[in-house]
Amino acid sequence: SPIFPSGAAWARGLLSWARPERWLASGSLFPLSCIHTSTSLQKIGKWEKKNRIVYPPQLPGEPRRPAEIYHCRREIKYSNDKMWYLAKLIKGMSIDQALAQLEFSDKKGAKVIREVLLEAQEMAVRKHNVEFKSNLHIAESQTGRGRYVKRVRYHGKGMFGMMKITRCHYFVKLVEGPPPPPEPPRTGFDQAKEYVQQLRNRTLVHTL
Amino acid sequence: VLVLVRSPLPRLRALLQRCWGRLERGLWPGVFGDRSPPWGPALAVQGPALVSEGINDAGESSTEAPSLLESIVWMAAPKHRRTIEVNRCRRRHPTKLVEIKRNIDVCPECGNLKQKHVLCGYCYAKVKEETRLIRMEIYKKEGGPFNAPAVETVVLYEGEKPTEKDEGKRIIERARKRPSWFVQN
Repeated sequence: SPIFPSGAAWARGLLSWARPERWLASGSLFPLSCIHTSTSLQKIGKWEKKNRIVYPPQLPGEPRRPAEIYHCRREIKYSNDKMWYLAKLIKGMSIDQALAQLEFSDKKGAKVIREVLLEAQEMAVRKHNVEFKSNLHIAESQTGRGRYVKRVRYHGKGMFGMMKITRCHYFVKLVEGPPPPPEPPRTGFDQAKEYVQQLRNRTLVHTL
Repeated sequence: VLVLVRSPLPRLRALLQRCWGRLERGLWPGVFGDRSPPWGPALAVQGPALVSEGINDAGESSTEAPSLLESIVWMAAPKHRRTIEVNRCRRRHPTKLVEIKRNIDVCPECGNLKQKHVLCGYCYAKVKEETRLIRMEIYKKEGGPFNAPAVETVVLYEGEKPTEKDEGKRIIERARKRPSWFVQN
C-alpha cells in the first residue's frame, strides 16, 4: 500500500528510530537521566512555569523592565464564582491595599488569597530581586475551576439530589512598581468624539 | 452504591391522573366517552354525554380534591434558558460586587491595621492572653468553683506593693513585669 514505505526504506526508518548506539553512549543501557520520573508529581501547571522565563540582560539604554512574579494555589475548597468576586476586588490595587481589604473581608476565600499574596510577596523579595516589598501591585488576579466531585445530598422523605463539591484555583501576577492609575470612565463626550471619528474614516472603496 | 427513590404518594399520583383526565375532557369534550367526536355525524340528542359526564363528576366529587391542591399543576416555571450573557450581567452588576472598605486605619499602639469602629485585633489578643493568665492565678487561689470572695480584686506584678487604697481587697500576684497598657491606679 502507498502508506507504508517499501521494504528497505521501512527497515531503515525502524533502525533510525531504534538507534542502539545512543543507548550505549552514556555507559549504561537505560540511563536514568533520559527517562521522565515524574510519576508521583502531578504535571506542573502553566502558571508555575511562567516564573521560569529568564530574559537576557538589558542593554544600558533600554527602559527598566519591571519584575513580574507569578504565583498560584490549586484546589482551594471554595466556589469559583464566589472567589471571582474577591479576585475582581483586588485587581489593579497595590499589594498593601489588597492585603488590608482582604484582612477585613468576611469571606472564606479572603483568608486564602491573603496567604497567597503574602507568599508571593516573600518570594518576590527573596528570589526575584525586588527591593521594596510594598512596591508591588497586582497586575492580574484570576480564578479557575478545580476538579469537581459529585456527591449525594440527602433530603427529607427519602428524596435525594446530586451535589457538586466545588474547588477552585487562584492565580496572581505581581509586578514591581506603583499601581497604574485607573482608567477614567468613558463620558458622553468621548463617545461622541469616537462617533465623529468613525464618520470621518469612511471612504469610498474600489475607486480612485 | 445502591440508591432508593421512594415513589411519590399514590394519592398524589391518583390526583394528578384525575386532574389530567379532567383537563383532557375539558379540552376535547365528547371525544373521551363512548361517543364519536363532535365534528363527525352526531345525534341531535345529547343525553348519553350528559349522563356520562354526570357520572364522572359524581365519581370525582365523592373522592375529595380541594381546588388548592389542583393549582399545583399551574406553578411558575422558567420558560427559556437564561444565556450566559444575561447571567453575567446579573452576577457582575456593580451592586453585587464586593465594595472596597474605606474605614481601615492603622492602630497607634501596635501598628497593625484596624477598622475604625472595631478594637485592634492584635491588641485585643494581647489583652485576652493576659486576662487568661490572671484568671488561671485566680483559679489556683480559689481552688474550686463558687469560692469567689465578696471583695474586690487587685492584680500586682513583680516588685509592686499593695498601697493603702488596696486595704480590704484580694491580691493576685503575677510573676512578670507590668505590661505598659495595664495602668496601675
